[in-house]
Amino acid sequence: MICQNCNKNDATLHMKRIINGRAAEVHLCSDCARSLGYGEAFSGFGLGFGHLLGELLSSNENGSANSMRCPACGKSFEEIAEDGKMGCAECYAVFYDRLLPTLNKIHGKTSYMGTKPQTSGNSAAPSISLDELKNALSEAIERQDFELAASLRDQINELVREGGAL
Amino acid sequence: MCAKWYLGTGAQNDVVINTSIHLARNLKTCPFPARLNLPEKLKVNSIIKGAADSIQDYSFNYAEMKTLSQAEVVSLAERHLVSPEFASSRDGRALLLTEDESVSIMLNEEDHIRLQVMYAGFALDEAYRTASIIEKELSSKLDFAFDDRLGYLTQDPTALGTGMKASVVLHLPALVSTSQITKLITTVSKLGLSLRGSYGEGAAAKGDLFRLSNTITLGISERAAIENLKSIALQIAAQERSAREELFKAPVTEDRIYRAYGVLKYARLIDTSEFMDLISLVRLGAVKGIINMDCAQIEALMIHMQPATISLSVDRPLDRTERDKLRAKLVRQTL
Repeated sequence: MICQNCNKNDATLHMKRIINGRAAEVHLCSDCARSLGYGEAFSGFGLGFGHLLGELLSSNENGSANSMRCPACGKSFEEIAEDGKMGCAECYAVFYDRLLPTLNKIHGKTSYMGTKPQTSGNSAAPSISLDELKNALSEAIERQDFELAASLRDQINELVREGGAL
Repeated sequence: MCAKWYLGTGAQNDVVINTSIHLARNLKTCPFPARLNLPEKLKVNSIIKGAADSIQDYSFNYAEMKTLSQAEVVSLAERHLVSPEFASSRDGRALLLTEDESVSIMLNEEDHIRLQVMYAGFALDEAYRTASIIEKELSSKLDFAFDDRLGYLTQDPTALGTGMKASVVLHLPALVSTSQITKLITTVSKLGLSLRGSYGEGAAAKGDLFRLSNTITLGISERAAIENLKSIALQIAAQERSAREELFKAPVTEDRIYRAYGVLKYARLIDTSEFMDLISLVRLGAVKGIINMDCAQIEALMIHMQPATISLSVDRPLDRTERDKLRAKLVRQTL
């Protein structure tokens, strides 16, 4: 079979992708596969192509326009769904509930059974303090990143409300 | 210069070429590499380098990828010390490498830390032990991103959990020539493992070299994943051995091996693809005792004859014909 991309070399990478029930076949030679970003064995932790993962992530969204951003790195869930890459460790905590259905699809079960770091005991449960949020807010305003600032303001208000109810 | 890891001889080396353990780790407090700008990446590099330098029993050479030539970087990928992806974009990335090249740490690849330990032959337990020792040393200095439910957190959510990928590279000429390999690839994928060409993919794998790796990183411990890989690898090795016995019943097999040896010994021009096909047959003959060659010598040759690595042996860029000529010459000298 000839590579679909260069129409020259023999295709050596054969892939079937099923996205939302639609199957598509891809046949590429190794040069084109590499240049198109389909990683080789070495980089093959998991699936390796962000876009496919992105589609999986966004397929779990019901079009809810939630523009919350990670206060630590500023990445939104929509951006994660677009490139399939988490922005930072904190993203897992911030977007945990929205990630969970996808993580279940990828990994089957979500309970971790491996070794733990010596200083264990941390959890992805939201752990950002009000002070950290306020600091991030003033930094965002300084950088004139008003989109992030607005999202941070909402999160601060929410925290304050929760605090007031206690 | 100290002896490289691949010059050693390992267990099961009639079929198992080498073993590697990869561990992915990220710093808790820094955004993942795709979210970092250049100065931030360099800062991450220096933090991790500082931690690695404090490990007593291992000493690492540190290189910023930007300071290396394109050929040097591609050669690192050909030697499987860095990923092709790592070699493709060099800005802000760095490599920590021990003198014998058995331990390498890619900095700012897909994750802040991609630790790799590589040993000759079948050595999953030993490689995992070394990887854990180094990982523990690093974690005593660095705070890794970790969650009790999800394990080690990675930039790519499909890799989180143990962040471990264990692999063995298998030489499977008999399973390829008896067309059993495609079926095997399908079977293995149902067992939570992947089997793919080590150089080139699928049935077109160069040199009949295949990499068997675990794909599951969550819901399974490192130990269980390794035991699983071990048992499947040994079963495949046993299948390959019995396929070889069948293969050698036909006189044409021995003939093909001697012809391959003859071409390698006398050719004046040889490209990578032809070289890999022929050396695979020669290795099969060497293991059988037909050809008087050491497996470690053959493995070293397979690594040294890759295009970029061969160009590095002379101090100037080579065109294709020059390279094929040099390759033929070096192969002749070795044989």
